[in-house]
Amino acid sequence: MKRPRGAPSPQGARATRFARTRGDRLGLGRALLFVCVLSATASADVTEKSRVEVQPPGKPYKQVSIDNSLGNVRIEGHDGKNVIIETIKRAGTDEAIERLRISLVPDPDGTVRITTHADPSPESKPVARSAVSIDVVIRAPRGARFDATVGSGKLEAKNMDAGGELDSASGAITVDNVQGELYTHSVSGSITINKAFGDVDAATVSSDVALDSISGQKLVASANDGKIAGRRVRSRDIELTTMTGKITLEAEALPRGRIVVSSMRGDVEVKLRRQAQTAMVVRGRGTKVDLGSTPVTVLGKWQEAKLGSGGEATVVELRSNHGFVQFLQLAVIQ
Amino acid sequence: MSCESVREKLTAYLDGELEGERGSAVRGHLRGCDACRQIAADEAALRDGLRSLPPLDPPASLWAGVQSRLAAEEVKDAERPAWGRALTWLRPRALHIGFATVALGAAIVLLVMKLQRDDEQQVAVKPPIQVPVPEIASNNPEPPRAGQCNTTPSDDKDVSAAIAAEPAAITACYAQTVSELIEVAKEARGEWPADRQRDFDIELEALQEKVVRATDERPRQQAYRKMIRYLQRAVVRDDVALANLGGQQ
Repeated sequence: MKRPRGAPSPQGARATRFARTRGDRLGLGRALLFVCVLSATASADVTEKSRVEVQPPGKPYKQVSIDNSLGNVRIEGHDGKNVIIETIKRAGTDEAIERLRISLVPDPDGTVRITTHADPSPESKPVARSAVSIDVVIRAPRGARFDATVGSGKLEAKNMDAGGELDSASGAITVDNVQGELYTHSVSGSITINKAFGDVDAATVSSDVALDSISGQKLVASANDGKIAGRRVRSRDIELTTMTGKITLEAEALPRGRIVVSSMRGDVEVKLRRQAQTAMVVRGRGTKVDLGSTPVTVLGKWQEAKLGSGGEATVVELRSNHGFVQFLQLAVIQ
Repeated sequence: MSCESVREKLTAYLDGELEGERGSAVRGHLRGCDACRQIAADEAALRDGLRSLPPLDPPASLWAGVQSRLAAEEVKDAERPAWGRALTWLRPRALHIGFATVALGAAIVLLVMKLQRDDEQQVAVKPPIQVPVPEIASNNPEPPRAGQCNTTPSDDKDVSAAIAAEPAAITACYAQTVSELIEVAKEARGEWPADRQRDFDIELEALQEKVVRATDERPRQQAYRKMIRYLQRAVVRDDVALANLGGQQ
Protein backbone atom coordinates (compact mmCIF):
# COMPACT_ATOMS: atom_id res chain seq x y z
CA MET A 1 0.00 0.00 0.00
CA LYS A 2 2.83 2.42 0.83
CA ARG A 3 5.45 3.53 -1.64
CA PRO A 4 8.49 5.68 -0.80
CA ARG A 5 7.54 9.27 -1.56
CA GLY A 6 9.24 10.77 -4.60
CA ALA A 7 10.19 7.39 -6.10
CA PRO A 8 9.18 7.16 -9.77
CA SER A 9 6.51 4.59 -10.47
CA PRO A 10 7.00 2.05 -13.30
CA GLN A 11 3.79 3.29 -14.92
CA GLY A 12 5.09 6.86 -14.95
CA ALA A 13 8.38 5.81 -16.56
CA ARG A 14 6.55 3.80 -19.19
CA ALA A 15 4.32 6.78 -19.93
CA THR A 16 7.32 9.09 -20.40
CA ARG A 17 9.03 6.61 -22.75
CA PHE A 18 5.82 6.27 -24.74
CA ALA A 19 5.61 10.03 -25.19
CA ARG A 20 9.25 10.31 -26.32
CA THR A 21 9.06 7.53 -28.92
CA ARG A 22 5.87 8.80 -30.46
CA GLY A 23 6.89 12.42 -30.15
CA ASP A 24 3.50 13.75 -31.11
CA ARG A 25 1.58 16.30 -29.07
CA LEU A 26 -1.38 14.08 -28.41
CA GLY A 27 0.76 11.33 -26.94
CA LEU A 28 2.66 13.78 -24.76
CA GLY A 29 -0.60 15.29 -23.55
CA ARG A 30 -1.94 11.89 -22.60
CA ALA A 31 1.26 10.98 -20.83
CA LEU A 32 1.24 14.24 -18.87
CA LEU A 33 -2.37 13.64 -17.87
CA PHE A 34 -1.44 10.14 -16.75
CA VAL A 35 1.50 11.44 -14.71
CA CYS A 36 -0.80 14.09 -13.15
CA VAL A 37 -3.28 11.39 -12.15
CA LEU A 38 -0.49 9.29 -10.71
CA SER A 39 0.94 12.19 -8.72
CA ALA A 40 -2.55 13.05 -7.46
CA THR A 41 -3.05 9.53 -6.18
CA ALA A 42 0.48 9.50 -4.82
CA SER A 43 -0.35 12.53 -2.69
CA ALA A 44 -3.06 10.52 -0.87
CA ASP A 45 -1.56 7.08 -1.04
CA VAL A 46 -1.81 6.11 2.62
CA THR A 47 -5.16 4.53 3.39
CA GLU A 48 -6.61 3.04 6.52
CA LYS A 49 -9.77 0.98 6.41
CA SER A 50 -11.87 -0.02 9.37
CA ARG A 51 -15.15 -1.80 10.02
CA VAL A 52 -17.22 -1.55 13.18
CA GLU A 53 -20.46 -3.36 13.92
CA VAL A 54 -22.65 -1.97 16.68
CA GLN A 55 -25.25 -4.19 18.29
CA PRO A 56 -28.30 -2.61 19.88
CA PRO A 57 -28.60 -3.27 23.61
CA GLY A 58 -32.25 -4.26 23.31
CA LYS A 59 -34.55 -2.53 20.87
CA PRO A 60 -33.23 -1.77 17.40
CA TYR A 61 -31.65 1.64 16.82
CA LYS A 62 -34.15 4.35 15.88
CA GLN A 63 -31.78 6.84 14.31
CA VAL A 64 -28.38 7.06 12.71
CA SER A 65 -26.71 10.46 12.72
CA ILE A 66 -23.49 11.33 10.92
CA ASP A 67 -21.54 14.51 10.42
CA ASN A 68 -18.62 14.12 8.04
CA SER A 69 -16.96 17.25 6.67
CA LEU A 70 -14.04 15.28 5.30
CA GLY A 71 -15.53 13.10 2.59
CA ASN A 72 -18.38 11.02 1.25
CA VAL A 73 -21.19 9.38 3.18
CA ARG A 74 -23.37 6.51 2.05
CA ILE A 75 -26.23 5.16 4.14
CA GLU A 76 -27.82 1.88 3.10
CA GLY A 77 -30.70 0.09 4.73
CA HIS A 78 -30.51 -3.60 5.51
CA ASP A 79 -32.74 -6.16 7.16
CA GLY A 80 -30.57 -6.80 10.23
CA LYS A 81 -30.57 -5.04 13.63
CA ASN A 82 -26.93 -4.00 13.78
CA VAL A 83 -25.38 -0.82 12.50
CA ILE A 84 -22.28 -1.53 10.44
CA ILE A 85 -19.86 1.33 9.82
CA GLU A 86 -17.08 1.06 7.27
CA THR A 87 -14.59 3.88 6.95
CA ILE A 88 -11.69 4.63 4.66
CA LYS A 89 -9.22 7.31 5.68
CA ARG A 90 -6.84 8.67 3.10
CA ALA A 91 -3.88 10.96 3.58
CA GLY A 92 -0.44 11.65 2.18
CA THR A 93 1.50 10.56 5.25
CA ASP A 94 1.12 8.37 8.32
CA GLU A 95 1.30 11.49 10.48
CA ALA A 96 -1.60 13.06 8.65
CA ILE A 97 -3.71 9.93 8.80
CA GLU A 98 -3.15 9.74 12.55
CA ARG A 99 -4.79 13.14 12.86
CA LEU A 100 -8.04 11.98 11.26
CA ARG A 101 -10.55 10.88 13.86
CA ILE A 102 -13.87 9.09 13.74
CA SER A 103 -16.00 9.04 16.84
CA LEU A 104 -18.87 6.67 17.36
CA VAL A 105 -21.33 7.16 20.19
CA PRO A 106 -24.29 4.76 20.55
CA ASP A 107 -26.70 6.75 22.73
CA PRO A 108 -29.10 5.03 25.09
CA ASP A 109 -31.93 7.00 23.43
CA GLY A 110 -31.61 4.74 20.38
CA THR A 111 -29.37 6.96 18.26
CA VAL A 112 -25.99 6.06 16.84
CA ARG A 113 -23.92 9.23 16.37
CA ILE A 114 -20.88 9.31 14.14
CA THR A 115 -18.68 12.35 13.68
CA THR A 116 -15.37 12.92 11.98
CA HIS A 117 -12.76 15.55 12.60
CA ALA A 118 -9.08 16.31 12.26
CA ASP A 119 -6.92 16.95 15.30
CA PRO A 120 -5.29 20.37 15.39
CA SER A 121 -1.97 20.62 13.61
CA PRO A 122 1.06 19.76 15.70
CA GLU A 123 4.16 21.85 15.30
CA SER A 124 4.97 20.04 12.06
CA LYS A 125 3.76 21.45 8.73
CA PRO A 126 0.00 21.91 8.27
CA VAL A 127 -1.99 19.53 6.06
CA ALA A 128 -4.30 20.92 3.40
CA ARG A 129 -7.89 19.81 3.57
CA SER A 130 -7.82 18.50 0.00
CA ALA A 131 -4.93 16.17 0.93
CA VAL A 132 -7.00 14.08 3.37
CA SER A 133 -10.38 12.40 3.34
CA ILE A 134 -12.64 10.08 5.27
CA ASP A 135 -15.32 8.15 3.40
CA VAL A 136 -18.01 6.49 5.48
CA VAL A 137 -20.46 3.74 4.53
CA ILE A 138 -23.19 2.99 7.07
CA ARG A 139 -25.41 -0.05 6.84
CA ALA A 140 -28.32 0.54 9.16
CA PRO A 141 -31.63 -1.17 9.90
CA ARG A 142 -34.19 -0.03 7.34
CA GLY A 143 -36.50 1.22 10.07
CA ALA A 144 -33.96 3.71 11.44
CA ARG A 145 -34.22 7.39 10.58
CA PHE A 146 -31.08 9.01 9.16
CA ASP A 147 -29.60 12.44 9.67
CA ALA A 148 -26.48 13.15 7.66
CA THR A 149 -24.32 16.19 6.98
CA VAL A 150 -21.39 16.55 4.60
CA GLY A 151 -19.31 19.42 3.24
CA SER A 152 -18.07 18.85 -0.28
CA GLY A 153 -18.39 15.07 -0.30
CA LYS A 154 -21.15 13.03 -1.91
CA LEU A 155 -24.10 12.11 0.25
CA GLU A 156 -26.21 9.06 -0.58
CA ALA A 157 -29.12 7.35 1.15
CA LYS A 158 -30.65 4.15 -0.12
CA ASN A 159 -33.26 1.59 0.89
CA MET A 160 -34.33 3.29 4.12
CA ASP A 161 -37.91 3.20 5.42
CA ALA A 162 -38.18 5.88 8.10
CA GLY A 163 -37.09 8.97 6.19
CA GLY A 164 -34.45 11.43 7.25
CA GLU A 165 -32.58 14.63 6.61
CA LEU A 166 -29.61 15.14 4.31
CA ASP A 167 -27.58 18.34 4.44
CA SER A 168 -24.73 19.22 2.11
CA ALA A 169 -22.69 22.31 1.34
CA SER A 170 -21.39 21.59 -2.15
CA GLY A 171 -21.56 17.81 -2.37
CA ALA A 172 -24.17 16.06 -4.49
CA ILE A 173 -27.09 14.46 -2.66
CA THR A 174 -28.57 11.24 -4.06
CA VAL A 175 -31.54 9.40 -2.61
CA ASP A 176 -32.88 6.10 -3.87
CA ASN A 177 -35.81 4.06 -2.61
CA VAL A 178 -36.66 5.85 0.61
CA GLN A 179 -39.89 5.92 2.62
CA GLY A 180 -40.91 8.40 5.27
CA GLU A 181 -40.47 12.16 5.40
CA LEU A 182 -37.40 13.25 3.51
CA TYR A 183 -35.65 16.62 3.83
CA THR A 184 -32.69 17.43 1.61
CA HIS A 185 -30.92 20.75 1.36
CA SER A 186 -27.70 22.01 -0.12
CA VAL A 187 -25.98 25.25 -0.94
CA SER A 188 -24.46 24.25 -4.28
CA GLY A 189 -24.73 20.48 -4.42
CA SER A 190 -27.18 18.87 -6.83
CA ILE A 191 -30.12 16.94 -5.41
CA THR A 192 -31.32 13.74 -7.08
CA ILE A 193 -34.22 11.81 -5.59
CA ASN A 194 -35.43 8.54 -7.11
CA LYS A 195 -38.27 6.51 -5.68
CA ALA A 196 -39.41 8.43 -2.62
CA PHE A 197 -42.57 7.12 -0.99
CA GLY A 198 -43.12 9.81 1.61
CA ASP A 199 -43.32 13.58 1.78
CA VAL A 200 -40.33 15.26 0.17
CA ASP A 201 -38.85 18.68 0.85
CA ALA A 202 -35.84 19.48 -1.32
CA ALA A 203 -34.10 22.86 -1.40
CA THR A 204 -30.91 24.10 -2.99
CA VAL A 205 -29.49 27.57 -3.39
CA SER A 206 -27.48 27.25 -6.58
CA SER A 207 -27.83 23.81 -8.07
CA ASP A 208 -30.41 21.57 -9.74
CA VAL A 209 -33.07 19.29 -8.33
CA ALA A 210 -34.01 16.08 -10.18
CA LEU A 211 -37.02 14.13 -8.97
CA ASP A 212 -38.18 10.78 -10.30
CA SER A 213 -40.96 8.50 -9.03
CA ILE A 214 -42.14 10.56 -6.08
CA SER A 215 -45.36 9.36 -4.52
CA GLY A 216 -45.67 10.91 -1.08
CA GLN A 217 -48.63 13.14 -0.28
CA LYS A 218 -46.60 16.30 -0.42
CA LEU A 219 -43.68 17.42 -2.58
CA VAL A 220 -42.03 20.79 -2.03
CA ALA A 221 -38.89 21.69 -3.97
CA SER A 222 -37.08 24.95 -4.54
CA ALA A 223 -33.94 26.08 -6.33
CA ASN A 224 -32.90 29.67 -6.07
CA ASP A 225 -30.53 29.55 -9.01
CA GLY A 226 -31.05 26.19 -10.68
CA LYS A 227 -33.46 23.93 -12.50
CA ILE A 228 -36.08 21.56 -11.18
CA ALA A 229 -37.06 18.50 -13.20
CA GLY A 230 -39.74 16.13 -11.95
CA ARG A 231 -41.08 13.03 -13.65
CA ARG A 232 -43.42 10.25 -12.61
CA VAL A 233 -44.66 12.34 -9.70
CA ARG A 234 -47.81 11.18 -7.89
CA SER A 235 -48.16 13.62 -5.03
CA ARG A 236 -51.41 15.29 -4.12
CA ASP A 237 -49.78 18.51 -3.06
CA ILE A 238 -46.92 19.72 -5.27
CA GLU A 239 -45.11 23.01 -4.97
CA LEU A 240 -42.05 23.73 -7.13
CA THR A 241 -40.35 27.12 -7.10
CA THR A 242 -37.28 28.60 -8.77
CA MET A 243 -35.98 32.10 -9.20
CA THR A 244 -34.01 31.65 -12.42
CA GLY A 245 -34.12 28.02 -13.52
CA LYS A 246 -36.55 26.17 -15.76
CA ILE A 247 -39.10 23.87 -14.17
CA THR A 248 -40.33 20.75 -15.94
CA LEU A 249 -42.86 18.46 -14.37
CA GLU A 250 -44.54 15.30 -15.59
CA ALA A 251 -47.05 14.14 -13.02
CA GLU A 252 -50.43 12.64 -12.31
CA ALA A 253 -53.15 14.92 -11.01
CA LEU A 254 -54.83 13.24 -8.05
CA PRO A 255 -58.37 14.07 -6.86
CA ARG A 256 -58.50 17.29 -4.79
CA GLY A 257 -54.84 17.88 -5.59
CA ARG A 258 -52.97 21.15 -5.60
CA ILE A 259 -50.11 21.73 -8.00
CA VAL A 260 -48.29 25.05 -7.85
CA VAL A 261 -45.33 25.56 -10.17
CA SER A 262 -43.77 29.02 -10.06
CA SER A 263 -40.65 30.67 -11.38
CA MET A 264 -39.42 34.22 -11.48
CA ARG A 265 -37.41 34.02 -14.70
CA GLY A 266 -37.40 30.38 -15.74
CA ASP A 267 -39.82 28.71 -18.12
CA VAL A 268 -42.49 26.42 -16.71
CA GLU A 269 -43.40 23.25 -18.58
CA VAL A 270 -45.96 20.93 -17.03
CA LYS A 271 -47.46 17.72 -18.40
CA LEU A 272 -50.21 16.11 -16.38
CA ARG A 273 -52.28 12.99 -16.76
CA ARG A 274 -55.53 12.75 -14.87
CA GLN A 275 -57.99 10.11 -13.84
CA ALA A 276 -61.33 10.15 -15.66
CA GLN A 277 -63.25 11.15 -12.55
CA THR A 278 -60.83 13.99 -11.74
CA ALA A 279 -61.37 17.41 -13.25
CA MET A 280 -58.54 19.91 -13.52
CA VAL A 281 -58.67 23.67 -13.31
CA VAL A 282 -55.46 25.01 -14.81
CA ARG A 283 -54.43 28.62 -14.54
CA GLY A 284 -51.35 30.00 -16.25
CA ARG A 285 -49.60 33.31 -16.19
CA GLY A 286 -46.41 34.22 -18.04
CA THR A 287 -44.97 36.26 -20.88
CA LYS A 288 -46.44 33.56 -23.13
CA VAL A 289 -48.99 31.03 -21.98
CA ASP A 290 -49.96 27.87 -23.82
CA LEU A 291 -52.53 25.73 -22.04
CA GLY A 292 -52.88 23.25 -24.90
CA SER A 293 -55.87 22.74 -27.15
CA THR A 294 -58.48 23.34 -24.45
CA PRO A 295 -60.48 26.59 -24.76
CA VAL A 296 -59.23 29.18 -22.31
CA THR A 297 -60.86 31.99 -20.40
CA VAL A 298 -58.91 35.15 -19.72
CA LEU A 299 -59.10 36.41 -16.13
CA GLY A 300 -56.94 39.51 -15.79
CA LYS A 301 -53.31 38.38 -16.11
CA TRP A 302 -54.31 34.74 -15.92
CA GLN A 303 -55.59 32.28 -18.49
CA GLU A 304 -57.77 29.46 -17.28
CA ALA A 305 -58.65 26.10 -18.80
CA LYS A 306 -60.99 23.48 -17.38
CA LEU A 307 -60.48 19.84 -18.21
CA GLY A 308 -62.92 17.10 -17.31
CA SER A 309 -66.11 17.43 -15.37
CA GLY A 310 -65.57 15.38 -12.23
CA GLY A 311 -66.45 16.84 -8.85
CA GLU A 312 -63.03 16.43 -7.24
CA ALA A 313 -61.07 19.01 -9.18
CA THR A 314 -57.35 19.42 -8.94
CA VAL A 315 -56.16 23.01 -9.02
CA VAL A 316 -53.06 23.71 -11.07
CA GLU A 317 -51.33 27.07 -10.85
CA LEU A 318 -48.50 27.70 -13.29
CA ARG A 319 -46.62 30.94 -13.30
CA SER A 320 -43.47 32.48 -14.68
CA ASN A 321 -43.06 36.19 -14.12
CA HIS A 322 -40.56 36.58 -16.98
CA GLY A 323 -40.76 33.27 -18.83
CA PHE A 324 -43.03 31.00 -20.83
CA VAL A 325 -45.70 28.77 -19.36
CA GLN A 326 -46.71 25.61 -21.16
CA PHE A 327 -49.23 23.02 -20.09
CA LEU A 328 -50.12 19.77 -21.77
CA GLN A 329 -52.66 17.18 -20.72
CA LEU A 330 -51.38 13.66 -21.16
CA ALA A 331 -53.61 10.59 -21.28
CA VAL A 332 -56.80 10.34 -19.24
CA ILE A 333 -56.62 7.25 -17.02
CA GLN A 334 -59.89 5.29 -17.10
CA MET B 1 -47.14 39.59 -28.25
CA SER B 2 -48.72 43.04 -28.79
CA CYS B 3 -51.94 43.68 -30.71
CA GLU B 4 -50.00 45.77 -33.21
CA SER B 5 -47.56 43.03 -34.09
CA VAL B 6 -50.36 40.47 -34.29
CA ARG B 7 -52.32 42.66 -36.70
CA GLU B 8 -49.22 43.05 -38.89
CA LYS B 9 -48.95 39.28 -39.13
CA LEU B 10 -52.67 38.67 -39.51
CA THR B 11 -52.65 38.45 -43.33
CA ALA B 12 -49.80 35.96 -43.34
CA TYR B 13 -51.49 34.00 -40.55
CA LEU B 14 -54.80 33.77 -42.46
CA ASP B 15 -52.86 32.74 -45.58
CA GLY B 16 -51.37 29.87 -43.56
CA GLU B 17 -47.85 31.24 -44.02
CA LEU B 18 -46.95 31.37 -40.30
CA GLU B 19 -45.64 28.03 -39.19
CA GLY B 20 -44.68 26.57 -35.85
CA GLU B 21 -44.14 28.91 -32.93
CA ARG B 22 -44.96 32.10 -34.86
CA GLY B 23 -48.35 30.76 -35.84
CA SER B 24 -48.90 29.42 -32.36
CA ALA B 25 -48.06 32.81 -30.83
CA VAL B 26 -50.59 34.59 -33.04
CA ARG B 27 -53.18 31.90 -32.33
CA GLY B 28 -52.52 32.24 -28.62
CA HIS B 29 -52.93 36.01 -28.78
CA LEU B 30 -56.18 35.70 -30.71
CA ARG B 31 -57.53 33.38 -28.03
CA GLY B 32 -57.05 36.01 -25.42
CA CYS B 33 -57.71 39.27 -27.30
CA ASP B 34 -61.29 40.01 -28.27
CA ALA B 35 -60.39 43.05 -30.43
CA CYS B 36 -57.81 41.19 -32.53
CA ARG B 37 -60.08 38.18 -32.82
CA GLN B 38 -62.81 40.45 -34.21
CA ILE B 39 -60.42 41.96 -36.77
CA ALA B 40 -59.25 38.48 -37.78
CA ALA B 41 -62.86 37.34 -38.16
CA ASP B 42 -63.69 40.41 -40.32
CA GLU B 43 -60.63 39.82 -42.50
CA ALA B 44 -61.50 36.14 -42.91
CA ALA B 45 -65.11 37.03 -43.79
CA LEU B 46 -63.92 39.57 -46.38
CA ARG B 47 -61.69 36.96 -47.98
CA ASP B 48 -64.51 34.43 -48.05
CA GLY B 49 -66.74 37.05 -49.68
CA LEU B 50 -64.13 37.86 -52.36
CA ARG B 51 -63.63 34.17 -53.10
CA SER B 52 -67.36 33.75 -53.63
CA LEU B 53 -67.49 36.46 -56.35
CA PRO B 54 -67.71 35.21 -59.99
CA PRO B 55 -64.46 35.37 -62.03
CA LEU B 56 -64.10 38.61 -64.05
CA ASP B 57 -62.38 38.57 -67.50
CA PRO B 58 -60.34 41.73 -68.29
CA PRO B 59 -61.17 43.62 -71.51
CA ALA B 60 -59.08 42.69 -74.57
CA SER B 61 -57.76 46.29 -74.89
CA LEU B 62 -56.02 45.98 -71.44
CA TRP B 63 -53.83 43.04 -72.56
CA ALA B 64 -52.93 44.79 -75.86
CA GLY B 65 -51.85 47.91 -73.93
CA VAL B 66 -49.60 45.88 -71.59
CA GLN B 67 -47.94 44.13 -74.55
CA SER B 68 -47.23 47.40 -76.38
CA ARG B 69 -45.60 48.92 -73.25
CA LEU B 70 -43.37 45.87 -72.79
CA ALA B 71 -42.29 46.08 -76.44
CA ALA B 72 -41.36 49.76 -76.06
CA GLU B 73 -39.21 48.97 -72.95
CA GLU B 74 -37.40 46.17 -74.81
CA VAL B 75 -36.55 48.53 -77.69
CA LYS B 76 -35.14 51.07 -75.17
CA ASP B 77 -32.98 48.36 -73.56
CA ALA B 78 -31.57 47.31 -76.91
CA GLU B 79 -30.59 50.92 -77.74
CA ARG B 80 -28.80 51.45 -74.37
CA PRO B 81 -24.96 50.84 -74.25
CA ALA B 82 -23.54 47.76 -72.41
CA TRP B 83 -22.24 49.76 -69.37
CA GLY B 84 -25.71 51.30 -69.00
CA ARG B 85 -27.30 47.84 -68.87
CA ALA B 86 -24.75 46.79 -66.19
CA LEU B 87 -25.64 49.84 -64.10
CA THR B 88 -29.31 48.96 -64.45
CA TRP B 89 -28.51 45.47 -63.08
CA LEU B 90 -26.46 46.89 -60.19
CA ARG B 91 -28.89 49.63 -59.13
CA PRO B 92 -31.40 47.45 -57.20
CA ARG B 93 -28.48 45.57 -55.56
CA ALA B 94 -26.58 48.70 -54.52
CA LEU B 95 -27.74 48.53 -50.89
CA HIS B 96 -26.63 44.91 -50.48
CA ILE B 97 -23.26 45.57 -52.06
CA GLY B 98 -22.76 48.58 -49.77
CA PHE B 99 -23.52 46.56 -46.65
CA ALA B 100 -21.26 43.73 -47.76
CA THR B 101 -18.36 46.15 -48.31
CA VAL B 102 -18.80 47.76 -44.89
CA ALA B 103 -19.04 44.34 -43.17
CA LEU B 104 -15.90 43.10 -44.93
CA GLY B 105 -14.02 46.25 -43.90
CA ALA B 106 -15.15 45.90 -40.27
CA ALA B 107 -14.12 42.22 -40.23
CA ILE B 108 -10.64 43.08 -41.51
CA VAL B 109 -10.22 45.83 -38.87
CA LEU B 110 -11.34 43.49 -36.07
CA LEU B 111 -8.99 40.75 -37.28
CA VAL B 112 -6.03 43.12 -37.32
CA MET B 113 -6.91 44.42 -33.83
CA LYS B 114 -7.21 40.87 -32.46
CA LEU B 115 -3.87 39.84 -33.92
CA GLN B 116 -2.23 42.90 -32.36
CA ARG B 117 -3.82 42.15 -28.96
CA ASP B 118 -2.71 38.51 -29.09
CA ASP B 119 0.84 39.68 -29.73
CA GLU B 120 0.67 42.05 -26.75
CA GLN B 121 -0.69 39.30 -24.48
CA GLN B 122 2.10 36.96 -25.47
CA VAL B 123 4.64 39.55 -24.41
CA ALA B 124 3.10 40.69 -21.10
CA VAL B 125 1.21 38.16 -18.96
CA LYS B 126 -1.17 39.95 -16.59
CA PRO B 127 -1.00 39.00 -12.90
CA PRO B 128 -4.11 37.19 -11.55
CA ILE B 129 -6.78 39.44 -10.07
CA GLN B 130 -6.72 39.37 -6.27
CA VAL B 131 -10.23 39.07 -4.81
CA PRO B 132 -10.27 40.07 -1.15
CA VAL B 133 -12.00 37.47 1.05
CA PRO B 134 -13.20 38.92 4.35
CA GLU B 135 -13.07 37.03 7.61
CA ILE B 136 -16.51 35.71 8.61
CA ALA B 137 -17.28 35.70 12.31
CA SER B 138 -18.87 32.40 13.31
CA ASN B 139 -21.71 33.98 15.28
CA ASN B 140 -22.40 36.95 13.06
CA PRO B 141 -25.80 36.76 11.35
CA GLU B 142 -25.05 39.88 9.33
CA PRO B 143 -25.26 38.96 5.63
CA PRO B 144 -22.02 39.52 3.72
CA ARG B 145 -21.77 41.38 0.44
CA ALA B 146 -22.76 39.62 -2.75
CA GLY B 147 -20.28 37.67 -4.85
CA GLN B 148 -18.34 36.04 -2.00
CA CYS B 149 -20.26 32.81 -1.57
CA ASN B 150 -17.92 29.88 -1.20
CA THR B 151 -18.72 27.02 1.16
CA THR B 152 -15.22 25.58 1.09
CA PRO B 153 -12.64 27.71 2.90
CA SER B 154 -9.30 28.18 1.15
CA ASP B 155 -6.97 25.19 1.05
CA ASP B 156 -3.98 27.05 2.49
CA LYS B 157 -5.31 26.55 6.03
CA ASP B 158 -4.65 23.41 8.01
CA VAL B 159 -7.43 20.82 7.69
CA SER B 160 -8.62 21.28 11.27
CA ALA B 161 -8.93 25.06 10.83
CA ALA B 162 -10.62 24.60 7.44
CA ILE B 163 -13.24 22.27 8.91
CA ALA B 164 -13.84 24.62 11.81
CA ALA B 165 -14.42 27.52 9.40
CA GLU B 166 -16.78 25.65 7.09
CA PRO B 167 -20.08 26.00 9.00
CA ALA B 168 -19.67 29.77 9.13
CA ALA B 169 -18.89 29.86 5.41
CA ILE B 170 -22.07 27.88 4.68
CA THR B 171 -24.10 30.23 6.87
CA ALA B 172 -22.60 33.16 4.98
CA CYS B 173 -23.79 31.67 1.69
CA TYR B 174 -27.34 31.34 3.00
CA ALA B 175 -27.16 34.86 4.40
CA GLN B 176 -25.99 36.21 1.06
CA THR B 177 -28.93 34.55 -0.71
CA VAL B 178 -31.34 36.03 1.83
CA SER B 179 -29.80 39.43 1.31
CA GLU B 180 -30.25 39.18 -2.46
CA LEU B 181 -33.85 37.99 -2.11
CA ILE B 182 -34.68 40.81 0.28
CA GLU B 183 -33.48 43.28 -2.34
CA VAL B 184 -35.81 41.67 -4.91
CA ALA B 185 -38.65 41.62 -2.39
CA LYS B 186 -38.17 45.31 -1.64
CA GLU B 187 -38.84 46.10 -5.30
CA ALA B 188 -41.92 43.86 -5.44
CA ARG B 189 -43.25 45.08 -2.09
CA GLY B 190 -44.06 48.53 -3.46
CA GLU B 191 -46.79 47.05 -5.66
CA TRP B 192 -48.45 45.03 -2.94
CA PRO B 193 -51.57 46.19 -1.06
CA ALA B 194 -51.01 47.61 2.42
CA ASP B 195 -52.27 44.56 4.33
CA ARG B 196 -49.98 42.27 2.37
CA GLN B 197 -47.02 44.57 3.00
CA ARG B 198 -47.78 44.49 6.71
CA ASP B 199 -48.04 40.68 6.79
CA PHE B 200 -44.78 40.40 4.88
CA ASP B 201 -42.97 42.74 7.27
CA ILE B 202 -44.24 40.88 10.34
CA GLU B 203 -43.29 37.48 8.94
CA LEU B 204 -39.85 38.66 7.82
CA GLU B 205 -39.15 40.19 11.20
CA ALA B 206 -40.11 36.95 12.93
CA LEU B 207 -37.82 34.96 10.65
CA GLN B 208 -34.95 37.41 11.18
CA GLU B 209 -35.48 37.10 14.91
CA LYS B 210 -34.97 33.33 14.65
CA VAL B 211 -31.67 33.91 12.83
CA VAL B 212 -30.46 36.30 15.50
CA ARG B 213 -31.53 34.04 18.35
CA ALA B 214 -29.81 30.94 16.90
CA THR B 215 -26.89 29.97 19.10
CA ASP B 216 -25.14 27.67 16.67
CA GLU B 217 -24.43 27.59 12.94
CA ARG B 218 -26.74 24.67 12.15
CA PRO B 219 -29.90 26.26 13.62
CA ARG B 220 -28.87 29.54 12.05
CA GLN B 221 -28.60 27.87 8.64
CA GLN B 222 -32.01 26.31 9.18
CA ALA B 223 -33.47 29.72 10.02
CA TYR B 224 -31.91 31.20 6.89
CA ARG B 225 -33.34 28.37 4.78
CA LYS B 226 -36.81 29.16 6.11
CA MET B 227 -36.28 32.80 5.18
CA ILE B 228 -35.16 31.84 1.68
CA ARG B 229 -38.26 29.70 1.18
CA TYR B 230 -40.54 32.43 2.45
CA LEU B 231 -38.92 35.16 0.36
CA GLN B 232 -38.99 33.04 -2.80
CA ARG B 233 -42.71 32.44 -2.35
CA ALA B 234 -43.41 36.05 -1.54
CA VAL B 235 -41.50 37.36 -4.54
CA VAL B 236 -42.47 34.80 -7.18
CA ARG B 237 -46.06 34.28 -6.11
CA ASP B 238 -46.87 37.94 -5.87
CA ASP B 239 -50.54 37.17 -6.38
CA VAL B 240 -52.11 33.88 -5.45
CA ALA B 241 -54.34 32.54 -8.16
CA LEU B 242 -55.92 29.46 -6.70
CA ALA B 243 -54.18 27.79 -3.83
CA ASN B 244 -53.33 29.64 -0.67
CA LEU B 245 -49.92 29.28 0.88
CA GLY B 246 -49.55 27.22 4.00
CA GLY B 247 -46.99 27.73 6.72
CA GLN B 248 -44.59 25.22 5.26
CA GLN B 249 -40.86 25.24 5.80
